[in-house]
Amino acid sequence: MRDAAAIVELRGLVKVFRDFWRRQKVTAVDGLSLDIYPGEVFGLLGPNGSGKSTTIKIMLGLLHPSAGTVRVFGRPPQSVQAKEKIGYLPEESHLYQYLTARETLDFYGRLFNLGARQRHERIEQLLEMVGLAHAADRPVGEFSKGMARRIGLAQALINDPRLIILDEPTAGLDPIGCRQVKDIILQLARRGRAVLLSSHLLADVEDVCQRIAILYNGHVCAEGRVNDFTQSKEAICITLPALSPAQIEELLESIRQKVGAEPQVQHPRVSLEQCFLRVVQRAEAAALERSGAAAATKLAEYLQSGTASES
Amino acid sequence: MPERSRLAIPITRGRQFVSLVGLTAVETARQPICLLLAICCVVLTALGPLLLLHQFGEEGKLARDTGLALHFVFGLFLAVYASSSALNREMNSGTAAAVLSKPVGRAPFFLAKFGGVTLVMAVFSIAAATATLLSERVSEKFEQTGKVVGYVTDWQTGFLMLAAPAAACLTAGWINWRWRRPFTSVALGLLLVLLLGVLWLGCWFDRAGHLVGFSPRFAWRILPASLLVALALVVLCAFTLTLSTRLSIVPTLVLGGAIFVGGLLSDYYFGRTAANSVIAALAYRLLPNWQHFWMADALDHEGCIPVEYLGCACGYALTYLAGLLGIGIALFEDAEVK
Repeated sequence: MRDAAAIVELRGLVKVFRDFWRRQKVTAVDGLSLDIYPGEVFGLLGPNGSGKSTTIKIMLGLLHPSAGTVRVFGRPPQSVQAKEKIGYLPEESHLYQYLTARETLDFYGRLFNLGARQRHERIEQLLEMVGLAHAADRPVGEFSKGMARRIGLAQALINDPRLIILDEPTAGLDPIGCRQVKDIILQLARRGRAVLLSSHLLADVEDVCQRIAILYNGHVCAEGRVNDFTQSKEAICITLPALSPAQIEELLESIRQKVGAEPQVQHPRVSLEQCFLRVVQRAEAAALERSGAAAATKLAEYLQSGTASES
Repeated sequence: MPERSRLAIPITRGRQFVSLVGLTAVETARQPICLLLAICCVVLTALGPLLLLHQFGEEGKLARDTGLALHFVFGLFLAVYASSSALNREMNSGTAAAVLSKPVGRAPFFLAKFGGVTLVMAVFSIAAATATLLSERVSEKFEQTGKVVGYVTDWQTGFLMLAAPAAACLTAGWINWRWRRPFTSVALGLLLVLLLGVLWLGCWFDRAGHLVGFSPRFAWRILPASLLVALALVVLCAFTLTLSTRLSIVPTLVLGGAIFVGGLLSDYYFGRTAANSVIAALAYRLLPNWQHFWMADALDHEGCIPVEYLGCACGYALTYLAGLLGIGIALFEDAEVK
């Protein structure tokens, strides 16, 4: 992925918010620099008020930087040509309350100048992908938060973007929805799209991101690959099939003699998410009735174009 | 660049613009206050001939003046509210950010907001103008024919005109129940259609209610006066929309009201002293003079508004619009959309 040029280049970005009298009120971003490349999932982390959303809005041309340079696809962020390749899911699902789900996607499709037939095909595929085909003709104002997030995700993908910016994409979603969104993100990255993910849910970030940047007070405190952050180099973990207590004790004694350290024995843990999904899958297999959204995990057909690559 | 590509970009941008205008118009029309103001304007205009007891020496004058005044006043509230909320509401709710994160320029977005609000104002103005025409027709007039000698009030048209808002609401309610279409925008559209229907029916009947064949016997000279009022409202929309690029809704409403009052009194306060005071001269030239758009008195005693005057007033309005929208675009280009 590093062979390609960066899609997003931020250099020395500064954003100062001023009051009505133009006095400095708060410095939201202070000398931030980072790059995002095609085919990677980049996580933007930080506590509240660290400048994540401000940085994203500057990338989209919604806010003007006080200093520094921003290039998106080699162009200024306000450029219409740059925005044609971007899909954005805001932190809150800002949707027109009186439009139905289908009308919402149709409207955003028109903004990208998609033809009628292409719009129709993509809308049907996206509604199926996010599990809202059954609620396509309901006003968005009647949706739950999770359903609104799903439509938000769908509108972010209507134009088959090369850069997808997701601000808290799993907020309000049930565990199944969270897993589906993460699967979609991974599939998009494998197809060569760049994904910028901003989230407070560190487990989700750990699941999907390859690189992260941690912001504090408007600048990058740490940046690098997720594995470099999370893997401990000071110990190793060996997984074995289940052994009898006698076998375990024999193995431990051998390690004590050869290594001279006291090893720890514990059963591998399965995440609560995986347990939950297994229970739901068993219930689905038993054909128990289920209300609410039921999405396919398969990416919409038109989003499957692009080079499949190992992440 | 090939010729086809040169044309494709403006065509696609045009389609995008039309989508934005349409959405703004629909979102504005779906605000309940829009329907409420339109119905109040129409109903009060319709009640005018029934409540007024004096002619002041001219038949139909008070009904006509009342209709035009109600058009102006209710239109003022609608214009200021609709245009300030069209941009402010979207910027506060985040939908403006959602749209501007797409390949939409700030200038087309701003102009589309103006276009959408203007579309709704056009619907309101047509409804108000139709109501004024009908109200003037209903008002008591002296007739002397083989069948009638004396003052005649066109009760039939008056009844139909009053029934139109009620029928529009009932029908919109049924449509909402049957097909789940939004009540307010459907009712607003139906109100216009039904009023135009009453106007068309009135072309077939005389004031006594007798079928006489198609004969459009209305005071059509009212329409240029209504057009001038509509132009004033559109200029006010542009003012308010420009203010709302930087101010929240309450300051925008206050300043919009101040500009309206200032423009109404412009001749009296600034016009008289403009020759002797630079400030007065500046204020007189900068503030729109709403008196140019109020020509109800010109219709007295069968008077008409000359086409030349209409042309000048349109030019005046277009000049203001060009200036205001240019300033609005410049302010919006630099605005922070959170």
